[in-house]
Amino acid sequence: MFGQLFISECRQLTRSIIYWLSILALAFTFVAQLGGAEIMAEPKKGQAEYGYKQSDDQDVIMRMTLGHLLEEYSWRSYTTYPVGFYKSVTLSEEEEARIGEIIEETTGLSGTDQVEKKISAWYSAQTGGGEDGPADMAKPMEIEPAAGLDFARFEMLMDKADHILGGGSSYAKEYRGSNAKVPMTYEDAMDAYRELVEKDSLTGGYARLFSDYMVIFLGILPVFLAVSRGLKDRRAGMQDLIYTRQCPSAVIIPGRYLAMVVMLVIPVLVISVFPLLGCLKYASAAGISADVFAYVKYTFGWLLPTVMAVTAVGMVLTELTGTVIAVLVQGAWWFISVFAGTGRIEGGMYGWNLIPRHNTELNWKGYHENFPQLASNRIFYACFAIVLVACATFIYSQKRKGRYRLSWKNTGRSKK
Amino acid sequence: MEKYWQIEKMNLKYHVPFHVLACVLLLAVSPLLMGTENLPAADTAKVLEYYVALMGIVMAPPIFLPEQNRDIRELVFAKYTDSAAVYLARLLGNMLILGVLLGVYLWTLKNNRCEFPAVRYYFGVFAEMLFLGGLGLFFYGVSDNYVLGYMVPVIYYLIALGSGEKYLKLFYPFSMSAERYAEKIYLFAAAVVLTAGGVYFRCRSHGGICCCSRPRIRS
Repeated sequence: MFGQLFISECRQLTRSIIYWLSILALAFTFVAQLGGAEIMAEPKKGQAEYGYKQSDDQDVIMRMTLGHLLEEYSWRSYTTYPVGFYKSVTLSEEEEARIGEIIEETTGLSGTDQVEKKISAWYSAQTGGGEDGPADMAKPMEIEPAAGLDFARFEMLMDKADHILGGGSSYAKEYRGSNAKVPMTYEDAMDAYRELVEKDSLTGGYARLFSDYMVIFLGILPVFLAVSRGLKDRRAGMQDLIYTRQCPSAVIIPGRYLAMVVMLVIPVLVISVFPLLGCLKYASAAGISADVFAYVKYTFGWLLPTVMAVTAVGMVLTELTGTVIAVLVQGAWWFISVFAGTGRIEGGMYGWNLIPRHNTELNWKGYHENFPQLASNRIFYACFAIVLVACATFIYSQKRKGRYRLSWKNTGRSKK
Repeated sequence: MEKYWQIEKMNLKYHVPFHVLACVLLLAVSPLLMGTENLPAADTAKVLEYYVALMGIVMAPPIFLPEQNRDIRELVFAKYTDSAAVYLARLLGNMLILGVLLGVYLWTLKNNRCEFPAVRYYFGVFAEMLFLGGLGLFFYGVSDNYVLGYMVPVIYYLIALGSGEKYLKLFYPFSMSAERYAEKIYLFAAAVVLTAGGVYFRCRSHGGICCCSRPRIRS
């Protein structure tokens, strides 16, 4: 009975415009974001640059953090992530003056004029003295700390600056290290490349990048499918007919749910074949032993729990209310999750976000070290989804028995 | 006029209170999510274009909702009052609510010492709201699918967030953040066309393309 229902539900989904639009959106994302992406080539000696890495040298952290503070002070705009969201903070005159005092103590520079001159001198030196040089290509601003400033005092003052900015700034303890980005040497670049081809078997890193883009869309699209399917029976006037059938609710709802999840995962797997082929082609030319199943593993491990959770949210709220409220609820959750991940897109900080980010094929170390965190996250959302489906099944069975007839419109009318 | 006021009263009483509440909540929680004080013009535009404009998606599609049931729709369409006029009355009412909410929000930003050209931003964001809402209305009207009315503008928003500027060009919704305004004029024009198209298809086919397959009664 379950198999028959499952196949019937899958067939229905193939006739749904919502389903095909979801696939179109996923395909578009892939083409737009990853369609032209090239596989990272092995670094060669004598290249102009090899990218950047995070330094753990205290002197470098101080110089670069203070450089960043000078820039934001001159712009009079500070970027923060107080509760995980991007927030652009503009301070009042009084607060700006307090930041100015911190700058004076840490760098010896007093007032905006001196700061702007210092920044201008830095970028002029970077661009060969020309005023209109390509500032974007220059090294990030650095400044020598004031004489006698030790790291402990520096940390205290940065905590103070972070407090003035409302928390979550680049000067907070957890973000200070990420200011210290230094150019990679050839050896550093080779280490990163070796990690990609040896530890990640090439395809692992690219499968993570693929998942990073896909998970953004899969954090919202399944809810439309679930809501549309949930409302379909009533619209078609088939609800009462289905209610009277012998098929148990514990078969109907899980069958529908499974069909939606499977039908959403299949196109993701199909799309993943294209980057996989690109990786395999490169791997065979470069003599790298690639993991052919990496994309499948990441699709199930990284993307599936998100698809499961979002579909389940859509299903349970639609059964509960008979409205499209799930779209608004999931829309809000998606918005919060996406913006909460904005400051963590380089991976390694997954937390409990529904949409875990890792917007690079590199940083295997960050992924590896935080894998338990990511695994807990994914298992939690998979379990959460199963609980929601169980709730949806219960609500559905109660509706069939005539014990639950809540919908917003019915409630409104019953009050009359 | 009395007739249209009655339509709008019913709309306000039964059909949109939840949507208005969602919009008010959306605005009320914004200071928790992003900076709303001492913002320069570009950052204010970001708050308005990326966040506040989402109200358009919430408020536009419900104008077709009361006649979602085909039997009710046929009854309404059989009345003397043109159904297009009913939809337009509801649409104007919803847009008025959006306009007021946007105005109050901009006033709050001004009070929070944000620096921006208020009138220019008001009409720019309103055009974006109308466009996102119009997109939903058009696809809802054509397909008779309420969920699609939300889905299409949401996908449009997602594409704009990603690689939008490259593909959407003149219809890029976040242009004010990049200190451009011309796109807003195109968005407004497109909003008018999409809304008119949505209402037209809704009225013409008595419920979208889906209804074409329904058996017709022969005279």
